[in-house]
Amino acid sequence: MSADARVRRVAGTAAATRVPWDLVGLVVLAIAVAFMPDLLKAFFGRASVSYLSIATNALSLSILALSWDILARTGQLSLAHAAFYGAGAYTTALLVKHASLPLWVGIPLGGVAAVIFALLLGAVTLRLRGIYFAIATLSAAEVLKAVVHHLPTPIAGGNAGLNVPALFRPEFIAGQMERWEVAFLRNEAYFYVYGVVLLATVLASILVQRSRFKHAFTAIRTNEEVAGVMGIRPARAKLLAFVLSAVFVGMLGAVEAHRVGSVLPEQSFSVATTVLALVTPIFGGLYTTLGPIVGALGLSSVQETLRRTFSDGYLIGYGVVLVLSILFMPRGVVGLMNGLMRRRAKPAAGAPERTGEEDRP
Amino acid sequence: MDTTLLVQALVSGVLAAGLYALVSVGLALAIGVIGIVNFAHGEFFMVGAFLAYQLFVTFGIDPVWSLFIVAPALFALGGVIYTSTIRFVLKAPELNQMLLTFGIGIILQNLALLIWGGDPRTIAGISYRGIGYQIGGVSIGLVPLASFVISLVLVLGLYWMLSSTPLGRAMRAVAQNRTGAALVGLEVNRVYLVAFALSALLAGIGGVMIAVIQSPTPVVGFAFTLKAFAIVVVAGLGNVRGILFAALFVAVAESLVATMVPNGDTLRNAVFFAIIFAVLIRRSWRTV
Repeated sequence: MSADARVRRVAGTAAATRVPWDLVGLVVLAIAVAFMPDLLKAFFGRASVSYLSIATNALSLSILALSWDILARTGQLSLAHAAFYGAGAYTTALLVKHASLPLWVGIPLGGVAAVIFALLLGAVTLRLRGIYFAIATLSAAEVLKAVVHHLPTPIAGGNAGLNVPALFRPEFIAGQMERWEVAFLRNEAYFYVYGVVLLATVLASILVQRSRFKHAFTAIRTNEEVAGVMGIRPARAKLLAFVLSAVFVGMLGAVEAHRVGSVLPEQSFSVATTVLALVTPIFGGLYTTLGPIVGALGLSSVQETLRRTFSDGYLIGYGVVLVLSILFMPRGVVGLMNGLMRRRAKPAAGAPERTGEEDRP
Repeated sequence: MDTTLLVQALVSGVLAAGLYALVSVGLALAIGVIGIVNFAHGEFFMVGAFLAYQLFVTFGIDPVWSLFIVAPALFALGGVIYTSTIRFVLKAPELNQMLLTFGIGIILQNLALLIWGGDPRTIAGISYRGIGYQIGGVSIGLVPLASFVISLVLVLGLYWMLSSTPLGRAMRAVAQNRTGAALVGLEVNRVYLVAFALSALLAGIGGVMIAVIQSPTPVVGFAFTLKAFAIVVVAGLGNVRGILFAALFVAVAESLVATMVPNGDTLRNAVFFAIIFAVLIRRSWRTV
């Protein structure tokens, strides 16, 4: 049923062959990630070091946005993603400082820490809806930030945070490579780690969209009482969404802590993380796997272009883009594309007009 | 426990509550009447503060008098923003409305950062800034006291306006039932426009006062957006009358923790959010 609906929607204009577009997209993404560093190196040479960082940031934003979207599919508009991110970052930092484990262990454990926090938060907020849910999650995130901030300094570093060692330290060998190539190797290694986390997130999202949970999520978002009457267990579905939404963001936080080299309360639990997590899917298109990723790539490029054009105050342009996209593109980039394709195809009578995109909260 | 310290904390909390209520009541008006969750609300507050600062620096206008310039200016700004953007998303999903106002907030905040930079700005050299009164060991600053009184008068004035004037009745009618209000001949769009502009005006007046009380930076707006949200949520969304009590509750709790807990000053925000979280969770599980 779910696969049918999707094929009809995506391939609605072409012949109705059953192409699993979501899996095709996953493969394309994997290939793109695999070859991106080499491509950048071939095209930009020395400058590819910074381009690779920008690409890594785009992957990071994609992970964040898609994770947020998974939770939003149940109608829960979270403002707590900074807390998931920070929980992951601080977990790996604390492990490095207080336990002598391999560095890599911190990353899955960062995901676990985020999941634990998400489950607690999800369980107590089960009954909150809409803006009340949003404010409660924001409050929880701020409280967690303050708690971490006020842990005794020998444990968590307080205001000064903790240092986190890098995961990769490519050696500079004189005569064999240039300096920038060492930096490139380091950035490349991180890029692949982010790529793997993103692919895992995309796979999780696709699995949800292909399972009956897709319909459970939509039903809960549309009307939770009715969903319950139809035999869906809202609490279970909502908590599942919380877990899926937190785990990859927690891992992202952990990896990013290693990449940046430190964790700080204000930085690791920044409201900006939460804001990006929700702005991006809305810009790209909600409740799809593609939308948040398109949004992340689009917003990253917009922001980067603006930053290079106007060094100061480039965020003004970012705000203008946001306002304009809401006014003229209320369903995001993907919604706009779908609309254009549908208009061009002019569906025959009886063709499915409702695609599930309409039932926004 | 030191009683004087306790009383001092209580008094500071009560005085701060006035300003909090003034800022929050504007937000509650936007949510209650128009149904817009305005994430840019605190930026109106910030714009008010920096207008007052600039008027003082450029023309030497005392903040007391700039109240009368900032208020209409913010009313106009609110009106322009409503007409150019908000008007078009009245029926859009809540999330889109939030994002739109968020974008507006980003624009205003970064414009301010571009113009004034990130450093705190102080309105220096006004005579009444340092004046304070001592009552039994408890000190009360003239400026916080005045801001409390002005805020209280404005909030009560708004309550009176909502309950007893034709405009207030129109706002309440529109809030209750948009279609019904239109059917009985109210110009819904104009009522929305006035409500939004009024909400910006109230925030702007609050901003002028913060410019005297503290030395704000352009990022002060977002912090106040969050605080105003907290108070609005504790009062209940759209409940304009509850704001005064919610603000009192939240501000006093904040002040008590900041004074009583060692190292409490940095815990302020956490207290704020812990209260909101507890109130929301408790309320949601209470009626089984």
